[in-house]
Amino acid sequence: MDANSISLKYAVDIVFCIDVTGSMYPVLDQVKEGALTFHKRLEDSMAAKDKAISKLRLRVVAYRDFADKPSNALEQSAFFTMPGQAGEFESFVSRLRAGDGGDEPESGLEALAVALHSDWERGLDRRRHIVALFTDASAHPLGTGSSAATYPQAAPATIDDLLEVWGYGGGQSAAMENAAKRLLLFAPDTTPWNEIAADWNNTIYVPSRAGEGLSEIEFTEIIDAISNSI
Amino acid sequence: MKLGENIRGFTVVAEPTNSGGGRCVWSFAEQGGRQYFIKQFLDPKWPTEQSMGSPASKARRREVCHEFEKRHNEVNNRINGKVAGGGNLVTATHFFREGTTYYKVTDRVAAEAAKDLTKFTDRQTVVVLRTLFMSMRLLHRAGIVHGDLKPANVLLQRSSTADLYTAKMIDFDDSYLTGDPPPPDQIVGDQQYGAPEWLRYVKQDPGVDAGHLTLAADIFTLGLMTHVYLVGELPGYDRSKFGAPSEAVWAGQSLVLSGQLHPKTRDLVASMVSSDIAARPTIESIIKIFEDDRVVQLGGSEPTVPLTPEARSGEGSATGRVKINMSGGSTPSRVPPPRPSRPAEGPSRVRINFDPKK
Repeated sequence: MDANSISLKYAVDIVFCIDVTGSMYPVLDQVKEGALTFHKRLEDSMAAKDKAISKLRLRVVAYRDFADKPSNALEQSAFFTMPGQAGEFESFVSRLRAGDGGDEPESGLEALAVALHSDWERGLDRRRHIVALFTDASAHPLGTGSSAATYPQAAPATIDDLLEVWGYGGGQSAAMENAAKRLLLFAPDTTPWNEIAADWNNTIYVPSRAGEGLSEIEFTEIIDAISNSI
Repeated sequence: MKLGENIRGFTVVAEPTNSGGGRCVWSFAEQGGRQYFIKQFLDPKWPTEQSMGSPASKARRREVCHEFEKRHNEVNNRINGKVAGGGNLVTATHFFREGTTYYKVTDRVAAEAAKDLTKFTDRQTVVVLRTLFMSMRLLHRAGIVHGDLKPANVLLQRSSTADLYTAKMIDFDDSYLTGDPPPPDQIVGDQQYGAPEWLRYVKQDPGVDAGHLTLAADIFTLGLMTHVYLVGELPGYDRSKFGAPSEAVWAGQSLVLSGQLHPKTRDLVASMVSSDIAARPTIESIIKIFEDDRVVQLGGSEPTVPLTPEARSGEGSATGRVKINMSGGSTPSRVPPPRPSRPAEGPSRVRINFDPKK
């Protein structure tokens, strides 16, 4: 029997959903650094467990505020396959700059909707689809700034509808496979993040503490969420 | 779950983490001065009146929750009731829902997982393996497949009265009734320790269905673990072609068992890791063989020729291996003994010459 056909193949897709408004300036470099070193750290972690990922792809959805400046409220990349497209991924991440956004809240739910509608890998034997969202602010209700031409079509009208996009066991309208998906929320203990953490399945919520920013532990949590579950 | 939070009377006393847990966040907790391990499930979530979603959505989500509760209670009742007295099974003391979220609580066991038992004395080793096998017997008598057995899910607890350790089996959250596993995309298991039928089920091989996922899958895993515990590494297989023992066995390849193993143990492990599910022994017969203290003794001669790269089993190579043909076809063939990666004699174990001609 062909060894290649019987080996268990894992696909991992990760979307980094990053708030790049002005208030994120103190921690954005940490997030970027974490994202840029991520695939190497994940590879090392998997190797330590004698496991391997057959296909790893990374994507970035950076957001600000449609109510403040629609022209730069959303910056998104396609999926980059690692390690072959590491240079393109690094180039995209390196261009991200913290700025604008006005006062909070920001357009985090629209960015999350865009992330959920990513072109997820459907092949191979097992899949892990992860959205890791980093923010220090609350979010507008969906629809805020929706008159802008740049407002994403992927965004549903209400947070109830967004829940259906996320889905649940036995759900029919989800954009992601229930067994494959994880949402990691690195966000303050405010609405809507604490409500999402309570109601959405497969969600790991790490509330940020005022003044502490993001830390090393966040990316360790993401790596653990992958390497422990495949 | 947050540090300091009180959840149904349990105060979280450590920073919760996902580390080592697949579909949960866990921490330690206290209640009434007693220490506990608390696990928060990531899926499913119970929709409360205040939760998001339409009434129809909530009704569908509650159905999923009822099914989840039923499965957990079924396993828990079988372990906690029918096979009560299994003190080495670290089972749930509490299983409950708080708000939208499910939690499971067990006693906090002062014990740690061991990579292997190669530093243990023969007496210590046999006690660990016997207690592990007896825990497995309790599960199997209840018709339960552990489903995620691996060294990380066996904790060793030191005796308060003797220099011995007992094996504490943990994490039954992915256990299922024999022949009735979760669907292929949801079943849990470790890539390195999974049985070939588990691998085929995950890969949705048409030759395997749910009915093939039985107690024998645990026996395969237990065979690999016994090998690891005794000699410090998995049986050998062609790592240039296969990522795990289950892949090699599925492909009809031979696993290479350590020649250090006692002949009875070698024969036993060979049958435990057989590709033929029906050929694997029951846990009862494994326990019977381990009534003899000598079966944990290591033997074999000093190696003289390196193991071929194809059959190298891990970072370290055991000595005096014998290649076992699992397919049952041709005569077992010998491979040259490998180069040792660790001292031929460990600090605590006595090396026995099993070959009376030497």
